[in-house]
Amino acid sequence: MNSDQFLNIENVLFTIVMAGYLLSMILYVLFFVLKKEKPGKWAGMIAAASFVLHTAALIVRGIGAGRLPLTNQYEFATSFAWGICACYLVFLWKYRFRALGAFVMPVIFLVIGYAAMQSREVRELMPALRSNWLAIHVSSAIVSYGAFGVSFAVSLMFLIRRKMAGSSFWQEHIPEEKKLDLISYRAVSLGFMFLTFVMVSGAIWAEHAWGSYWSWDPKETWSLITWIIYAIYLHLRISKGWKGKSAAVFAVIGFVCVIFTYIGVNTLIPGIHSYA
Amino acid sequence: MKKLFRILFSMRSALILLGILVAACVAGSVIPQGKEASFYLTEYSQKAGGAILALGLDDVFHCPWFVVLTGFLCLNLLGCSLVRFPVLIRQTRSGFTPETFLKKGEELCDSTDPETLFAHCGFRRLYKGENEYGRYIYGVKNKAGIWGAWLCHLGILIVITGFGLGQMKQVQYAVYGVPGQTKQIGDTKYELSIDDFDVSLRDDATVEQYLASITMRDTKTGGEMSGQTSVNHPCTLFGLRCYQNSTGWAADAQIWKEDELIQEAVLCAGEYVNVEDKDGLSVMLSAFYPDYIQGEDGMPQTASPQMNNPAYLYRLYYQNELLGMNILKADEAITVDAYTIIFTDPRSYTLIQIKRDPFTPIAALGALIVMIALILAFYLRTAEAGAVQKEDGTWKVFGYSRKGGAEFAGMLKEKQKELERGSGQEAR
Repeated sequence: MNSDQFLNIENVLFTIVMAGYLLSMILYVLFFVLKKEKPGKWAGMIAAASFVLHTAALIVRGIGAGRLPLTNQYEFATSFAWGICACYLVFLWKYRFRALGAFVMPVIFLVIGYAAMQSREVRELMPALRSNWLAIHVSSAIVSYGAFGVSFAVSLMFLIRRKMAGSSFWQEHIPEEKKLDLISYRAVSLGFMFLTFVMVSGAIWAEHAWGSYWSWDPKETWSLITWIIYAIYLHLRISKGWKGKSAAVFAVIGFVCVIFTYIGVNTLIPGIHSYA
Repeated sequence: MKKLFRILFSMRSALILLGILVAACVAGSVIPQGKEASFYLTEYSQKAGGAILALGLDDVFHCPWFVVLTGFLCLNLLGCSLVRFPVLIRQTRSGFTPETFLKKGEELCDSTDPETLFAHCGFRRLYKGENEYGRYIYGVKNKAGIWGAWLCHLGILIVITGFGLGQMKQVQYAVYGVPGQTKQIGDTKYELSIDDFDVSLRDDATVEQYLASITMRDTKTGGEMSGQTSVNHPCTLFGLRCYQNSTGWAADAQIWKEDELIQEAVLCAGEYVNVEDKDGLSVMLSAFYPDYIQGEDGMPQTASPQMNNPAYLYRLYYQNELLGMNILKADEAITVDAYTIIFTDPRSYTLIQIKRDPFTPIAALGALIVMIALILAFYLRTAEAGAVQKEDGTWKVFGYSRKGGAEFAGMLKEKQKELERGSGQEAR
């Protein structure tokens, strides 16, 4: 098979994956609206199947492009959606509550929807991107952003749970506040650690490519802003006992920063990271 | 004074400083940095532009108040670290004792065999003894975890210090030219020769790599070092890091008077040469187009990097006044009075960035410490477990973990249940 054939397969897989995430999201909505177990079960299974196909799509694109699919807006967006889904499945496996998907799936769908709007053309890499640090830097960003995505979804769940205090279905399917708070904290911890690594690996790469490990480029600056926001969250939580609603609101703000760092900076503020 | 230090070293101050830092970073990323004053006054309103200039928001990351802010943040980090250090030492040495633990530990479950239970929970070494609570078994794991946050602060402090010192002490130069040229490196005792420069293209004419072969010479001792530098692969010569930074087009400019070649110079795009024979006359090579076409907007463009239709864009000056500018094809010449100017041998020039920052390793060390510290802080959660024997011979199990309290308690209870289930099955 030649590279065009691989890319055609990836195109088909990507469309199926997007449809899968959409279907899963709709079923999760029905799960809560109809208050029935079955749509929730199906939603979870479809999400897991979509994740498997999504993994296959990324591998196929990697083969078709002859490199890791992490270098342009489309590739990062689809990998970002994959990262959120991977983190979601890990947290689902660890904490075992299905309703998490109802809040994560819309985030995944929005990110993959953004990917669908980008050009899927495979281009050869410019010299600055031809580095082993690319894989390390971008893949750690995917884990970091994925974990922050999960913390955002869990924090939303926390905030909505309070409003639905009277519904027994919500009480039954959404874990108690203490547990949600803990999951959000764990997700932020994971995301924060990887975000730190993203910045460190990016600095090493920048030193090699541009001769300066930190140049206050808008992307670097917004990564630092995101890092500080989450650092404040962790400080307030650990030292001041800031838990519950305040922490949840902070986690939501943190993810807004993540999205701005990823999409806003690329589209609104020009800089040396403009290809990212 | 004590009160001032207490305020300066407090968590509240740290959070306020971080908040201001975030605001400064937002301003620094949204407002274009390092432009001329007139830019801000025309792009923004006179009032807003004036405010940007007055507050130093046109160069946020280098303005004095930003440096002072970072200084205060470092002081705060240093203060916090100094205050916490003896506490952590004390905690490490004597904080983990059965006595202190039994006061704060949460009673979790009963067990007949706490030793096996604790071993299953990852407690390697257990201490046995007797005190006012009775006979006890006690263990502590991941003690190093309590140092995570402290080390993280120390690492950040080292990173900022390394970066700050680097900004003050680093030296940076740029040398550009074509193969065969030798140039002095700023005010150093070194000169740099560009031996070769190759732009490797792929089949689709996109650039794969820029590769420069260079030689650095110590003009005092005559010592030489050679190396190759390409994008992402800098080389170090005489302790100076050499980066393949950028490239552009260059050409030879020949100035003829009647049939005699009177002057020759290599011009990189953007450079000019003064005609020595005619005071005030100069010619600039503005740009070069290897495959010249006229764009839809009438502006000159290149269709490809191949030499299919080479053309030069030049500017001619006399007494600093622009005489004219035009496109010059490869076989054409500029004629001014008795002078004929031609451009030949178009080729790529390379720009080598040369840098020495002795504090980069310090910042790298700080970053490494931060990474290790975060793993310690988040994934090496200190936990204590103990059991006190009851009168009937069974044990009351206690547990405590500051960071993962609920999870640790849940895990201990779960393991106890597993052990009970296991022993129940064995008994059957």
